[in-house]
Amino acid sequence: MSLRNRWGLRAGLVQLSVLLTLLGSLLPTPAAAHGERATEPYIRTRTVHWYDVTWSSQKINVSDTVTVEGKFHLFTDWPDAATKPELAFLSNASPGAVMTRVESYINGMPAQQSVRQLEIGRDYSFKLVMRGRIPGRWHLHPVLNVHGAGPIVGPGHWVDVAGSAADFKVPVTTMTGEVIDDLQHYGVARVQWWQAGYALLAIAWIVWWIRRPLIVPRWNAIKKGREDLLVTRTDDRVAAGLLVVVLVVVIAGYRYTTQKYEYVVPLQAGSFKTKPLPQESPVVTVELKDATYDVPGRSLRLDVEITNQSGSPLRVGEFSTANLRFINQSLDVALAGVDPSFPKDLVPGSGLRISDDSPVAPGETRKLRLEATDAAWETERLVSFLTNVDSRVGGMLFFFDGGGQRHMAEVSGPIVPVFTQLRLAEKS
Amino acid sequence: MNLNDLAILKVSGLSPQAIKWSRTLDVLIVIVAAFLIWAVSHISFLLLGGDWDFFIDWKDRQYWILIIPITTITMAAAFQAIFWNLFRLPVGATASLLLLLVGTWIVRYHSWQGLAFFPISLVVPGTCLMGALVLDAVLVLSRSWLVTGAFGAVLYGLLFYPSNWIYMAGYFQPVQNMGDMTSVADLIGYTFPRAGTPEYIRIIERGTLRTFGDTPTWVSAFFSAFACIFLYYLFWGLGVLACNSRFFPVGDRFKSIYGGKSGAADSEPALKPGVPS
Repeated sequence: MSLRNRWGLRAGLVQLSVLLTLLGSLLPTPAAAHGERATEPYIRTRTVHWYDVTWSSQKINVSDTVTVEGKFHLFTDWPDAATKPELAFLSNASPGAVMTRVESYINGMPAQQSVRQLEIGRDYSFKLVMRGRIPGRWHLHPVLNVHGAGPIVGPGHWVDVAGSAADFKVPVTTMTGEVIDDLQHYGVARVQWWQAGYALLAIAWIVWWIRRPLIVPRWNAIKKGREDLLVTRTDDRVAAGLLVVVLVVVIAGYRYTTQKYEYVVPLQAGSFKTKPLPQESPVVTVELKDATYDVPGRSLRLDVEITNQSGSPLRVGEFSTANLRFINQSLDVALAGVDPSFPKDLVPGSGLRISDDSPVAPGETRKLRLEATDAAWETERLVSFLTNVDSRVGGMLFFFDGGGQRHMAEVSGPIVPVFTQLRLAEKS
Repeated sequence: MNLNDLAILKVSGLSPQAIKWSRTLDVLIVIVAAFLIWAVSHISFLLLGGDWDFFIDWKDRQYWILIIPITTITMAAAFQAIFWNLFRLPVGATASLLLLLVGTWIVRYHSWQGLAFFPISLVVPGTCLMGALVLDAVLVLSRSWLVTGAFGAVLYGLLFYPSNWIYMAGYFQPVQNMGDMTSVADLIGYTFPRAGTPEYIRIIERGTLRTFGDTPTWVSAFFSAFACIFLYYLFWGLGVLACNSRFFPVGDRFKSIYGGKSGAADSEPALKPGVPS
């Protein structure tokens, strides 16, 4: 092959690859992820703690519903960098509108609009009813959008939606009696027909001008002072006609529409307020004495002082933070508390190691070391304590008494990353 | 080709062969200009108008009516000034809004529906196209940017609401959802979730200004029309500035840095290809 042919082939391949790249960029390719791990750890560990979250099903057909419900606790040690939850909206995270929202509730109250003045340190229940729309395997999370803090994403579960998107419809009947067959397409044809009509007028107007000698001749005519040739009396008449047509179409169309839709309402944008769930009197206090994160060992170590203020012995059953649940494997009631539907990737198999797992007696104060070790700290991108302006950690501790009753307590404080085994040995 | 066209060609002083090639040039420039106008109008609108025209449940009676005309008249006025000053072509505003509308629909189908699965009913756009036609027509009739700003820009702002209400009114019928009365537009926004666009992000009717009809709609429309006058003049002026590009001579050192021949003439007078009226 001659040098010229080789260069020609190479140039052809380059052109082909450029063409394929351009064509590829035109084809829509939906993203599977939605950034749940991108939020800073200080927000995920110290703002909204989701618990008792369940998904009614992981396999549904198009038009079937899946209910996500549970509770969330608003953490007392809310970071200064994030706005307090004065205004919030309960939503879901999924890659686009692959599921539709049928109903949503906070504390049993309809949450179609935003909720205001949520109380720090308190708990709320939530419920989301979602309906399968686009077939596929979708990650479905509850989300609390907090004004000024952003979306705070709860645990996510994969939900398989089977069937055909063509079967999905949202029929609605308005309060004036109009039956809407499908909300997905409602009004679209009407918008497109009218805008196509407007566009035809615009095209006709542009063609009227550009059909005649255009750039260089008109430029030269202006330079020679013959503007009178460029905009004629006929152009004046056409412009006047256009003006009349536009005004008649708009005024007549507007009058017709206002008569057709006698009852219309503005967009609704109020917010609602709800009281938090009843608060149980504190039965256990937890004070964080020391917290380290072992970087090479991927282990969070908490030295805590626990005081049992209840009348029955308590055992530590679970440490939960940023949707990860470290369970005390030797406590059956804690293990039983993990719903079978809960995502396995959020329950590290290594569990929670406790320096002294015997029950803390009523009135006793005991120092314990809790170790939560798992690669999930890395995979969930929770180790950027190193780069955050607010190097603190937080989480919820779940205690269980002899009768299986669960009690929650917050734990939070500064965290120190430990980079070498030597330093670890010194600290332990 | 009519007598007027022949007269223009005669005045232009072009040879028959140059006339033939000038038509080819016309076609090429129209194609390139269309992409340029589309891109500039679209980017400008995305930056300034944003969410108010993305979603059906953002199209409120106050800010949607106010913001869309005053953001779109900017590029409409600038392109109108350029085409009128250089070629006496009163199509700048219409071309800007027409291409914006075409581009918007492409994005709605490609990105909003194709990538995010939003139904088109959630993302139907509004348009100021009827106002743009009026703006160009008033310029032809008046031959004056001053009159066009005073009357055309006012009509541009005023026509936005009624020309869009014709096909948008149905979205504002009342419907009951979870025990509350809401609009069809609100229900569409609620039903098809946008993970990154929580409900409270919407800015819906702040303040208490109302007409006797208990609606801020026409108050907003008239204020929009008023604001359009000033934005029209401002961006007409920027369009005129754009017509006045000049080429400044550069020195030998500059040329040598960029690989040009040193010693080339660097004292040529500034060229002035376009002079505004």
